[in-house]
Amino acid sequence: MTVELQIETVKPANTQAFEAAGQGKTLGPFKMQTDKLNAWFGQNHVLKDLSIKFRENQVTAIIGPSGCGKSTLIRCLNRMHELVPGAKTTGNVLLDGVEIYSRRVDAVTVRRRVGMVFQKPNPFPTMSVYDNVAAGLKLNGVRNQEKLDQAVLNSLKRAALWDEVKNDLDKSGVSLSGGQQQRLCIARALAVEPEVILMDEPCSALDPIATAKIEELLTSLKEQYTVVIVTHNMQQAARVADFTAFLYLGQLIEYGETTNLFEKPEQELTERYLTGKFG
Amino acid sequence: MARLMDMGLDRLRSMILDMAGLSNNTVTTAIDAYEQGKDVRTTIFGWSEELRLLQDEVSELAVELIARYQPVASDLRFIKSCMEISYGFSRFGRYAHDIADVLGIFGDLSTCDKSMIHKAGDQAKTMVNLSIKAFTERNVELASKLNEMDDIVDNIYMDFVKKAAHNPGGDLKCTVSATLILRYLERIADHATYVGDSVLYIVSGERTARK
Repeated sequence: MTVELQIETVKPANTQAFEAAGQGKTLGPFKMQTDKLNAWFGQNHVLKDLSIKFRENQVTAIIGPSGCGKSTLIRCLNRMHELVPGAKTTGNVLLDGVEIYSRRVDAVTVRRRVGMVFQKPNPFPTMSVYDNVAAGLKLNGVRNQEKLDQAVLNSLKRAALWDEVKNDLDKSGVSLSGGQQQRLCIARALAVEPEVILMDEPCSALDPIATAKIEELLTSLKEQYTVVIVTHNMQQAARVADFTAFLYLGQLIEYGETTNLFEKPEQELTERYLTGKFG
Repeated sequence: MARLMDMGLDRLRSMILDMAGLSNNTVTTAIDAYEQGKDVRTTIFGWSEELRLLQDEVSELAVELIARYQPVASDLRFIKSCMEISYGFSRFGRYAHDIADVLGIFGDLSTCDKSMIHKAGDQAKTMVNLSIKAFTERNVELASKLNEMDDIVDNIYMDFVKKAAHNPGGDLKCTVSATLILRYLERIADHATYVGDSVLYIVSGERTARK
């Protein structure tokens, strides 16, 4: 049986299973959700009728093979997808029940509420550690020095970087190690007080120690934020995520509590992907 | 496409099958020898030790596979179950050894009524066989059947103990030795049921609640 045939067997029961997942636990409401989301790059249909819900104050991991639409999905969650020439979307993306693609909603506001951390640490190269964190606030018109100082302090602390850089705030952001740079980018994202943090393979360029720090950080960040992380590293998803979604060819194949998905996946396709029996 | 881990999983499977054959032989030999009044302590002790060492090897290989490959889904379930099953098989060996020891402790038991032991022994032997078959074939139906069969051995044991407690007359040596043997058979049946539970877990991921 080919992979393409198997995908036909996917049932909406996956989503129902997800909604049933975590019964008996105190879980927050759904912070974000997509409903029949489709995304294209020109003629390339990348996401196909994808409906998924993200629980508040939980870490959700998106896994799947290269090209399955993981990054596109999270880029649709803060309207970054539309910045690519030729890109378009249909369907709905709701943040706290409000359609973020509505004409009345400002894309910049969406991106402030739904922050993004990228694969490669990308601090602003000409800015100091301090200015990197304060940049978003300044762009939003904050000029009060005390407010800026407080925001920088809080953000660096939340990103578990303060102790390492508190004496080097004037140093260039790019003078930090790779792991520190990534946490600096997380601090920069936190400074504008987002509600959701999207992370696109945030540890793929980091060594195991820096990766462990980011993973520890993730588990503390979820107390205040809803986190969605794209990762190629299945063990990382297993370690940090409360829920995991498996995407294949732009479709949501399976979604549920991480422990269940990694121990007893319901779909044959998920089983084959997780156990490396693909192809 | 074969995965690096597959070689280790095959080796694990083969070790479990080796243990299955040996534990089956050990249990059958011990029960039959008891009924026939034969002293097989040395043989059974050797096999029981071999099973214990094999169990250690299975555990070591399982831990190595987990450390090297971080298995998930059916691979993880299989490895976890192999650890549990190998423990069950090593317990078969230990209880078979205990059965063989009874003759050594009590001496000649040829005048004792062994009908209950014969009945429970047959059932336990069948259960050991079925548990191995269920593992080899990943047969969920057989695995489920073991639970019902276990009740029969439990009942034989409990009935015998109750009867002995309420009617203390008769040959004390026969009563005590039979109680011990039935207890060992009851434990063997339990472990055969656990092997079945592990098979169910490998196939479906569902865990069975222990009685």
